Amino acid sequence: MTLVRRGVLLLALPVLLFAAWWVASAGSTDFYWPSLSSILAAFGRTWTWDRVQADVLPSLGRLLAGYLLAVVVGVALGAVIGSVRWVRALVEPLLEFLRAIPPPVLVPIVILLSGIGDRTKILVIVSGCVWPVLLNTVEGVRGRDEVLSDTCRTYGITGPLRLRHLVLRAASPQIVTGARQALPIAIILMVISEMMAANEGLGFTVVQFQRGFQIPEMWSGVLLLGLVGILLSLLFRAAERGLLGWYHGQRAGRREW
Amino acid sequence: MLEVGNLHKVYDGHGRRVTAVGDLTFTVPEGQFACVVGPSGCGKTTLLRVIAGLLPATAGEVRVRGSRVTAPPAGLAVVFQEYGRSLFPWLRVRDNVELPLKAARMPRARRAALAAEALAAVGLSDVDSAYPWQLSGGMQQRVAIARAIAYQPRVLLMDEPFAAVDAQTRADLEDLIRSVWERLGVTLLFVTHDIDEAVYLGQRVIVLSAAPTTVADDLAIDLPAARDQLTTRADPRFTELRGRIYARIQKAKVPQAEGTPA
Repeated sequence: MTLVRRGVLLLALPVLLFAAWWVASAGSTDFYWPSLSSILAAFGRTWTWDRVQADVLPSLGRLLAGYLLAVVVGVALGAVIGSVRWVRALVEPLLEFLRAIPPPVLVPIVILLSGIGDRTKILVIVSGCVWPVLLNTVEGVRGRDEVLSDTCRTYGITGPLRLRHLVLRAASPQIVTGARQALPIAIILMVISEMMAANEGLGFTVVQFQRGFQIPEMWSGVLLLGLVGILLSLLFRAAERGLLGWYHGQRAGRREW
Repeated sequence: MLEVGNLHKVYDGHGRRVTAVGDLTFTVPEGQFACVVGPSGCGKTTLLRVIAGLLPATAGEVRVRGSRVTAPPAGLAVVFQEYGRSLFPWLRVRDNVELPLKAARMPRARRAALAAEALAAVGLSDVDSAYPWQLSGGMQQRVAIARAIAYQPRVLLMDEPFAAVDAQTRADLEDLIRSVWERLGVTLLFVTHDIDEAVYLGQRVIVLSAAPTTVADDLAIDLPAARDQLTTRADPRFTELRGRIYARIQKAKVPQAEGTPA
């Protein structure tokens, strides 16, 4: 597929929907459904560099901290649970219980325990994001190839070398799948944690606009959140390409000689 | 030197006991090229996995260079049948060959030299930075052989290594493994279901019976040491040995009622 064609396919639907929104909302007098032109005007007015520094960057910082912590914790625990059979048998019921709890429910509890600072919000993000990473890592580690395990045993590949080259790399396609599932959860929990207890941040700002009946500004915040989502998923895809090049290459089919 | 003494292996599970190996005893002297053939399902792979220390024996013992095998012994390398699954798809060819050396804490320069030498020996110097899945099946198995060579084993086990490659590649790989063996002076146990291959390659062929497995026959292959796909296979002695082993295996397919331990 040529670059132009890919670009067209990528942008066609968003452009079309934006155009439809623009036309449908043009000249709107409904207070709650302002025209897109007024939302975009509010966007430029609202998200100045000052505001980005004060509200957007702290949010993104917490988002990344919580997300990365969840990935590290999920992969570490998943590697242990997936490798050791009795540990898996021991913790499986507990995992099923814990992951069934919707993370937003934990927000008031975490606030009680650790206040309303950054730590609480990061903990909330971790509590939701860790599950897809953890469970996918467990499956990935369990499903590694027996012949490859035998190869490691035969050639004395043990310890950290085995962990890196067999356990984690073999599970990396599943780990990446889990991390991808965790990404939107991280954004959602970032916003929710800021809606409930915060004095700055993206979620807080959107709620403030809503309470102050600054409706176009509120919509512009929603738009910004969507853009953050797109940006993060693009970054994720770039990282995935580097990490899983071998996997996609292998799946694309063996080259014939 | 490789000693297998009264080896007995029973798989026990799901309420079913299967005797894979009945009673096996044989010795492969230092530096010998021995082939093991037998009817399919006769426990060849089980035997190999027990010798490699990947599977515990139910009774009896295996000794590699004098010490009893309880875990994968040092100085023993295995080339598996499933080359596609025994190479690390996320490592380049060179890194696949070097990984066991890295595990042995060999200095980087020495590692690189051994890997380059091993890859040259199997004729793959020009693809050392490719990924295994970019190579054909025969080339992947060459990488696995290069990994075994670079490891500098004293004992090399091969489990039907050429069963999954096409006939012409197979002939090339057979000659390659003969020359590798001649150069390294390694003790080589080569498991195959192909009688022609066993006779062509080995100095000796151990014929196994059907499960529960025992040694049905043990022949010295008195063909000239310089083997050639055309002349060796046309040698009347080759045909004679091949015929004898074939007859033994046909007979071995019917398990004897007596003489097998419970």
